[in-house]
Amino acid sequence: MDHVDWQRLKTGEVNLGTSIMAVQFNDGVVIGADSRTTTGSYIANRVTDKLTHIHDRVYCCRSGSAADTQAVADVVHYTLQMYSQTAGQPPSVHTAASVFQKLCYENKDALSAGIIVAGWDKEVGPSVYNIPLGGGLFRQPWAIGGSGSTYVYGYCDATYKEGWGRDETVNFVKNTLALAMSRDGSSGGVIRMCVITEDGVERLFVPGNELPKFWEGHEVLRAPVGMKKVAGETGIVPMAVEA
Amino acid sequence: MTVSSVFSPPGFNFSNEVRNNFMTEKGLPLPKATSTGTTIVGCLFKDGIVLGADTRATEGPIIADKNCEKIHYITESIRCCGAGTAADTEFTTALISSNMELHGLSTGRKPRVVTAMTMLKQMLFRYQGHVGAALVLGGVDSTGPHLFTIHPHGSTDKLPYVTMGSGSLAAMAVFESGWQPNMEREDALKLVKAAISAGIFNDLGSGSNIDACIITEHHTEMLRNVEMPNERVQKERRYGFRRGTTAWKTENVRNLIVKEEMTFVGGDAMDTT
Amino acid sequence: MTSIGTGYDLSASTYSPDGRIFQVEYANKAVENSGTAIGLRAKDGIVLAVEKLVHSKLLVPGANRRIQTVDRHIGLATAGLLADGRHLSNRARDEASSYRENYHSPPPLKTIADRLGLYVQAYTLYSSVRPFGISTILGAVDKDGPSLYVVEPSGVFFGYNGAAVGKGRQLAKTELEKLKLSELSTREAAIEAARIIYLVHEDVKEKEFELEMSWIGEETNGVHLPVPKELMEEAEAKAKAALENFD
Repeated sequence: MDHVDWQRLKTGEVNLGTSIMAVQFNDGVVIGADSRTTTGSYIANRVTDKLTHIHDRVYCCRSGSAADTQAVADVVHYTLQMYSQTAGQPPSVHTAASVFQKLCYENKDALSAGIIVAGWDKEVGPSVYNIPLGGGLFRQPWAIGGSGSTYVYGYCDATYKEGWGRDETVNFVKNTLALAMSRDGSSGGVIRMCVITEDGVERLFVPGNELPKFWEGHEVLRAPVGMKKVAGETGIVPMAVEA
Repeated sequence: MTVSSVFSPPGFNFSNEVRNNFMTEKGLPLPKATSTGTTIVGCLFKDGIVLGADTRATEGPIIADKNCEKIHYITESIRCCGAGTAADTEFTTALISSNMELHGLSTGRKPRVVTAMTMLKQMLFRYQGHVGAALVLGGVDSTGPHLFTIHPHGSTDKLPYVTMGSGSLAAMAVFESGWQPNMEREDALKLVKAAISAGIFNDLGSGSNIDACIITEHHTEMLRNVEMPNERVQKERRYGFRRGTTAWKTENVRNLIVKEEMTFVGGDAMDTT
Repeated sequence: MTSIGTGYDLSASTYSPDGRIFQVEYANKAVENSGTAIGLRAKDGIVLAVEKLVHSKLLVPGANRRIQTVDRHIGLATAGLLADGRHLSNRARDEASSYRENYHSPPPLKTIADRLGLYVQAYTLYSSVRPFGISTILGAVDKDGPSLYVVEPSGVFFGYNGAAVGKGRQLAKTELEKLKLSELSTREAAIEAARIIYLVHEDVKEKEFELEMSWIGEETNGVHLPVPKELMEEAEAKAKAALENFD
């Protein structure tokens, strides 16, 4: 190697190869995220908090480069602090999302940031905005993001219904993230969630050993006829060897 | 000649980047920067923070310094371990240390750990990873003990125990099995020493001695070379050649002291009475 | 004014010994010489009305407008130097579009009034500039409903339910105070506004005038628009009738 390998520096970047989500419901929003931060194949932080405080009733879910998304979130936090001081009232979620969008679009060449902005304001109540990689801005009833999201679009489409209450929405987020984390190698750890309503922000935590369980496959591997069951109750049997 | 050539702007200088890229293209690569292999750690305990580091600095396959200092001073109660490009960690921590001192003077308060963290992350983010500093920042302030990792691109994490550098995997394995909440000072130091030892013995980029630093609310104790597991032992034999081992044919002794002769040329000697 | 002729009125950057800035006070005089402008904050909207004095019969009807649109939902009426009014409305438009650029949403009137106030105040600080010779009535229907502000030459601004600036402001204020503005529909407010402008003109009656009137409300779908022809005619007819009863 006789030249400076800039690509290697690039891969040294800390990534939030992530599963993130935000869903609107009657009187608030539920946001959620896994907790894995990776550098290449190493987990740099297994209990990361990707749900970032932006203002009293506005939070964001971060995916992409950890450095970029932290820097952008810090700038927006500062901007909205100034905004609420001059306007004399808290910013709307739309305002917060617009500031994010402007930064993400104008610096699109330098950033890798996929951000979901969600919260509650007195103008429209709960709302969710998605700001994907190029710096677009889309209001959605629910949004998913990060590398893990690709595995669960179908699940969300098939499951989501309008008019849910708080608990149903929390379950939806928890199940979706658990499914995404189980299929995506870059996602994992614990589930962190926030319920944002007019009254406040409630934090929820699901430890890694208490994630919702889905079908995990063992009952399919039946023992071939005439083969003895392996000791224990697992029901897992070694692969049959051809004679 | 113009005077402008003596002006040097503050901060890092990237004016040779274009030239270096050109030379690289023509087949003259950049020399390797010193030290990418390191083990540095930090750990929260009951009354504060323990930081730890090995003392090896490398230049490619060569050990450039066998006993360097990787725990840098930020303020009296905030310290920072550096991994990555040695020059970058050295100068970034020095710059932030200076700015923290000024910040303390202008606010009239003891500056906080988050302040140092924010200064560092904003600087590293501005340089987009070209300043190769991977840091473990720890300290105690009015809001309690804090421990952060800061990556070269400017991302930060806040955790109760952290490791960085090439030996971070070995050290993290020790922490993951041994760390507990609310540990005693001595137990925490023991754990940090074990974590650094894991780096020293299992990672090629790390080695030599252990430095540690225990920061509590009212006192900071810097333990330089708290353990030296790789000291050179007394040689069992002498490998010097005995006098007269080599034979010679002629002997020629030269006087190395130059002789000078002084001659007065005219005039009287000075009157010094 | 005791200090006249002592040189303290030559620059806006010099206080008089008793702490006044004469240039700002003179700017207020420029406002007082102008035709009256009023603003009404009704139940569901805003009405702006201006008594535009026509100084020449040769002028095209409708020329030299003193009510302008700042943003879709924001109107601005000025009393004082016409050119200053146009400069400030341009500035207001820039502020509104910069807000839209930054936050992708319609600017609240308070923010625009705040920024214009800062801008106007900056012209009271330097010896090289002259303070604005206008008082500006800003009206809008924003996310918090209808709102009305007046920015004065000093740069201060206040929120009002009913505002009047210019030559006939005293009488106009007296008339505004009689109204139950919070119960009036915007349409009713437009008719009252026309009546007040005709009334204050009657009081002075030196020149010809044109009534200029705009509104923002449910009927305009929250957009700042000129009052439509039929309502204008109705309002003017009623105003004239009221005047005859008044005599």
